[in-house]
Amino acid sequence: MISVRSLSKQYGSVRAVDGVSFDVEPGKVTGFLGPNGAGKSTTMRVVMGLDRPTSGTATIHGRRYVDLAAPLREVGALLDAGAMHPGRTGRAHLRIGARSNGIARSRVEEVIAEVGLGKAAGRRIKGYSLGMRQRLGIAAALLGDPPVLLFDEPVNGLDLDGVRWVRTLLRGFADEGRTVLVSSHLMSEMQLIADRVVIIGRGRLIADADIDQVLRGLGGQRVRVRTPRADALGQLLADRGVVERTAPGELEVTGLPASEIGDLAHARGVPVHHLAEVEQSLEHAYLSLTEDSVDYHGRPAEPIANGATR
Amino acid sequence: MSTVTVLTRTGRAEWGRIWSVRSSWAFVGAITVAVVGVGTLMGYDASGDPAGVPPGASAWDAGRQTAMFALFGITAMSVVTGAADDGTGGIVPTLQWTPRRGVLLAARAGVIAATASVLALVLVASASVVVWLFVPESGLPVRAGAEMLAGLGLVFGCGALLGVGLALVTRSTAAGLVSVLALMLVLPLLLAQLGYPWAVTVAAHLPGAGALFLVFGEGPSDDMTTTSARLTLAAWAVAALAGGGWRLLRTDANR
Repeated sequence: MISVRSLSKQYGSVRAVDGVSFDVEPGKVTGFLGPNGAGKSTTMRVVMGLDRPTSGTATIHGRRYVDLAAPLREVGALLDAGAMHPGRTGRAHLRIGARSNGIARSRVEEVIAEVGLGKAAGRRIKGYSLGMRQRLGIAAALLGDPPVLLFDEPVNGLDLDGVRWVRTLLRGFADEGRTVLVSSHLMSEMQLIADRVVIIGRGRLIADADIDQVLRGLGGQRVRVRTPRADALGQLLADRGVVERTAPGELEVTGLPASEIGDLAHARGVPVHHLAEVEQSLEHAYLSLTEDSVDYHGRPAEPIANGATR
Repeated sequence: MSTVTVLTRTGRAEWGRIWSVRSSWAFVGAITVAVVGVGTLMGYDASGDPAGVPPGASAWDAGRQTAMFALFGITAMSVVTGAADDGTGGIVPTLQWTPRRGVLLAARAGVIAATASVLALVLVASASVVVWLFVPESGLPVRAGAEMLAGLGLVFGCGALLGVGLALVTRSTAAGLVSVLALMLVLPLLLAQLGYPWAVTVAAHLPGAGALFLVFGEGPSDDMTTTSARLTLAAWAVAALAGGGWRLLRTDANR
């Protein structure tokens, strides 16, 4: 169990994390979500003892990470795949980690095989792709076969096969009863593997709930209706639920089940060509929850006029 | 689990860190060539005129002349090795594996200083033996050798600790090397040449002047003694290590 309590972290004038509290329970994959600069990595760094909290606490099974004598046997983490000495081989990197925690050298070969590094383990890290560094970082996290795992963007740089492997790996860890905290920007990926999500924005906690609760928390199930008499159906449904015109001849209704909408349309003689519940996505939920917490907005590039150059 | 166990494991990991990168081996090669090479040239030169060896002098005295090459080499090696984690981001996994920063500091400083000092002593002793092989008449008395190596051990140990401390303070290989070069070589020489009494006094209290006095018996000031030189060198090593330790223990990693 990871417990974060009233955690704040200030860097100069910037409050990166502001009074965040949440628990990460064993047996579940907990997704850690938030826009860029929301404070996810900072929170993870504080949990791992790399940064000192300005106030509040972060503990693992009731103890601070910095108090652990053999931390690799209790917590495995991948925080920054680029943070390794490039002149060292992958195998040497892992052997140093194993030595520092009294782990047998044979375990190094096991994790190399487990992450699929193979012969690349004998090469210097500076020749690794980002995906290979991610695999090496995951191998280091697994060295001590720990009950608690933290991964910061673990699928960055991985190919599809690697993404599927990480997905299976994380799911398997949670099913074994381990505590898994994973941050990612890939909402579709999170929706597939996370049981629970913690969402932060501008350093503050926005949501901490099971993924189903987050999806339901968007104002209820929405139903999409297509009809040639959208205005009439819209007026009919307006008293009973929230109706939104999403396209000509198309409505999205919140607060009414599809069956009731169908019955009402049938009773009033309104023809319906399509009637279905809209599948809720974590991406939609995430964007809805964090729309006021994004520090760094992009904007579409302006089209270049014919003949013009940038 | 006892702190001694954690310290031992961390020390083994530090040993692995030193020898798993090419730069350490490059330093060993370069220092060996410099120290043993100079010893060889000195021995070859003396072999042409064995009668020119001063009465009472031994091959150890010739070997001592190579000590400053060894000192600069191992001090630079200590800076590069000590700053490697911060320079590459490797401090992130290092602190994940050894979150007790006091233990990491002790292991890192101890292993690097011990490794560098032993390396320098072995090479200076080797250079002395090479000189003796060229000029057997010079002699190689064991007691004199032990006394010289014991004295140089303090110089090398303090030099290596100074290098580690500056590496941890600056968290940068380049800044660490510049700092150590200034304190060990540039400032003692330049200040002593200025001619002002205050400049000579300052120069005499820099680590490079202390090392120079302990190796050659000469320094920028006539007031220097063996004790003052040892204290100067040790104080700088302790101060650098204290500064580096404060930065490691009290500030965020890799920021």
